[in-house]
Amino acid sequence: MKFLANAGFDLGRMLIQALGIVVIVFLLARVVPGDVVDLKAIEGDLSASQQQEMRTELGLDQPLIVQFGQWSWRALHGDFGDSIRFGRPVGGMVRTALPVTLVFAGLSFVLALVLAIGIAVGAVMTGSRVLRSLVEIVNIWSIALPTFCIGVVGILIFSVWLHWLPVVGSMLLPILIIGIDGAGQIVKPLYEELREAATSTHVRTAHAKGLSPWRITVRHLLPTAVPVALALSGLVLAGLIAGTLTMEVLFGLPGLGSLMLNAIQGRDYPVIQAAILVTAIGLVVVNALTDLLHRMIDPRLSR
Amino acid sequence: MNALVIRNLVIAKGQRRLVDGVSLTLAKGSTLGIIGESGSGKSLTALAITNLLPDGLSISSTSTIEIDGVALPTHDAHAMRALRGAKIAMVFQDPMACLNPFMRIGTQIDEILAKGVLPRTARTTRIVELLREVDLPDPATLARRYPHELSGGQQQRVMLAMALAGEPDLLIADEPTSALDASVQAEIVALLARLQARRQMAMLIITHDLAVAGALAHDLAVMRAGQIVETGPAQAILNAPQHPYTARLVAARRTLVSEPSDAAHAGHLLVEVTDVAVDYAGRGLFGRPFRAVQGASLRLERGRTLGLLGESGSGKSTLASAVAGLRPIAEGRIRLLGHEMRPGGPALPQALRRRCQVVFQNPHGALNPRLSIARALGEPLGLAGIPHREHAARINAVLRDVGLEAEHAARFPHQLSGGQRQRVCIARALLCEPDVLVCDEVVSALDMTVQVQILQLLKELQKKRGFGMLFIGHDIDVVRWISDEVLVMNKGRIVDRCAAHELGATASRDAYTQRLMAARLSPLAA
Repeated sequence: MKFLANAGFDLGRMLIQALGIVVIVFLLARVVPGDVVDLKAIEGDLSASQQQEMRTELGLDQPLIVQFGQWSWRALHGDFGDSIRFGRPVGGMVRTALPVTLVFAGLSFVLALVLAIGIAVGAVMTGSRVLRSLVEIVNIWSIALPTFCIGVVGILIFSVWLHWLPVVGSMLLPILIIGIDGAGQIVKPLYEELREAATSTHVRTAHAKGLSPWRITVRHLLPTAVPVALALSGLVLAGLIAGTLTMEVLFGLPGLGSLMLNAIQGRDYPVIQAAILVTAIGLVVVNALTDLLHRMIDPRLSR
Repeated sequence: MNALVIRNLVIAKGQRRLVDGVSLTLAKGSTLGIIGESGSGKSLTALAITNLLPDGLSISSTSTIEIDGVALPTHDAHAMRALRGAKIAMVFQDPMACLNPFMRIGTQIDEILAKGVLPRTARTTRIVELLREVDLPDPATLARRYPHELSGGQQQRVMLAMALAGEPDLLIADEPTSALDASVQAEIVALLARLQARRQMAMLIITHDLAVAGALAHDLAVMRAGQIVETGPAQAILNAPQHPYTARLVAARRTLVSEPSDAAHAGHLLVEVTDVAVDYAGRGLFGRPFRAVQGASLRLERGRTLGLLGESGSGKSTLASAVAGLRPIAEGRIRLLGHEMRPGGPALPQALRRRCQVVFQNPHGALNPRLSIARALGEPLGLAGIPHREHAARINAVLRDVGLEAEHAARFPHQLSGGQRQRVCIARALLCEPDVLVCDEVVSALDMTVQVQILQLLKELQKKRGFGMLFIGHDIDVVRWISDEVLVMNKGRIVDRCAAHELGATASRDAYTQRLMAARLSPLAA
């Protein structure tokens, strides 16, 4: 019962968060000077009356609140309208872009976790100098080197000079870059947490039971770091949004990031709104999942 | 045949020898107690046997440890692992922290059994048997529980079951009862004694508590500053200690069991608490508040000491902080030095706060580590508006009062011992010239000899200055010794009240008080 109440409370909170994001983006998109009609006017030399006509047709002359109301009403029914620039249904455009971003972000995230946990656990278990330095190096790497810089250098080295990878459309390099960047953000706090946990009393009990180092690490040490690891994963996921956007544009991947950037440049309001809505819901769902996971893994929170 | 022989054990941290030439023998089927105060090296000795010393500590190469006549393979990690949890098992202090919070009880015990050859189904049966052996009710259900769902006493029983799972020849128990309530402590001690006798294991008990050592150990070794100062049969040592240090330890314990000297005369009323209830806010949006204290009434007069006795969670500290005006009350009223506090009413005025001082359990946490003692003591003087040039003289006077020297004023908290820090906390409270002194478990974190010194100091100061004292404690002997009147608290209610010397008159007491008194271990009653 309590569990259900908590879940309901969380769900309500998440919906409010998602709604907040959507409202803010809706407003921001319209605060930017110039709309799609202005852009078309520059390209196609429209007369003032034609511009007026077009605005009326698109509903852009309505008050913001009315525009928002109409859009959200239709969105609730699954209709995101047509792209103003391309005339195609927005739903379809998002549906083609989404898998690319999901695969890209998902693989980067998994790589970040595997790298960070691997390095941190290895460093704590073996106490090896090399691994401990690696913790520092990866950490400083992610602080000092922005992903888009590494991206440009990566294209130069692997695509232009070595011809190992195509300049456009390969996912390998961006996944590596974002993965290492994410790992760098969490490896250091994770390592410190694990080192602290290694001296904790229940780990000493596990040693006193004569268990193997491997079992002690997996069953007794790692669970202790779960809360920290999950909290940090949230951070990395938030960073992924920014990271995937720039990487998709840089490496020419047809994902949500590219879609969003093009839409923003073209003032393609329906596309911007739909793309942001999907991203916001995604973020909120992932956050809810980490919370749920935390509750499932830590029995002290389950009641 | 000896189960354990230690010869010339030296444990060093760099150049400093923390354990310096300890030699011990433990015969098969008998119990050896190592007693000593904090920092004596008794726990390090125990950890050395299982080769689990913290990083940075090393055993000298001239030391030998033999188990059943075979030298310990200290440099072979694999062989050591095979010994640990099987031939040698260990139980530690604070079972809550020792059990893995993420794992079911049964699984944690199974980890030891899984090292053997038993198939899974046989192991499940064995887990139930083990839990039954340590007197846990409904073992099959319990095995599926998590540690946080158990009480402290149950957790320690689980630790014992886990230790027994490997059928050890040697059980090392390091302060096995120190983190537990008094009544639970007695049960665990009885269980340890029973298990040792039934299984005929060799047992090594490490404790600072002479009562626990006296109840369990056949032989005793007394450690001080890394060395053994005295060994011999337990009863002989406790009844007729040879070494002056042992004599001091025993005398400290005796002081407490002796009858309180004189009942103080009643003075005028300082505190009157009538039907007070205290709530803790509930958790979450719809959480109901938790009632920590219910219907509590008490009166404290000038020059008298009121003891609040109870186990952890009984609400005694909560009630005391409400009296000191540190926590709002939900029902009833408190009259403190003529000022009345009611639910939702105004907080205690600043001037009165100064006249009701609190001393806390952990003297380390209660002192700002960045302030020298002089500056820490200067704060209350500054608040009282005393001119700066008089501070030094006042501070020196109060330091003398609490048995410290003027030179201590220049030091920082970490340069003082636990007892000295508690003296500083008392001095700080005294500088406000309090009429009421609330002492919340002020001696529980201290060694026995230091406890007695602090208690005697409090009594002396009270006689000299005449403040009323509210003394909160969980140790019956301590509370009884210092108090004129004792209130016994259980689950937020005051269940019993009587003059301190009447606590022993069991027949007329509440059932709960009787249980507490019965649980008291007194090896030194003679």
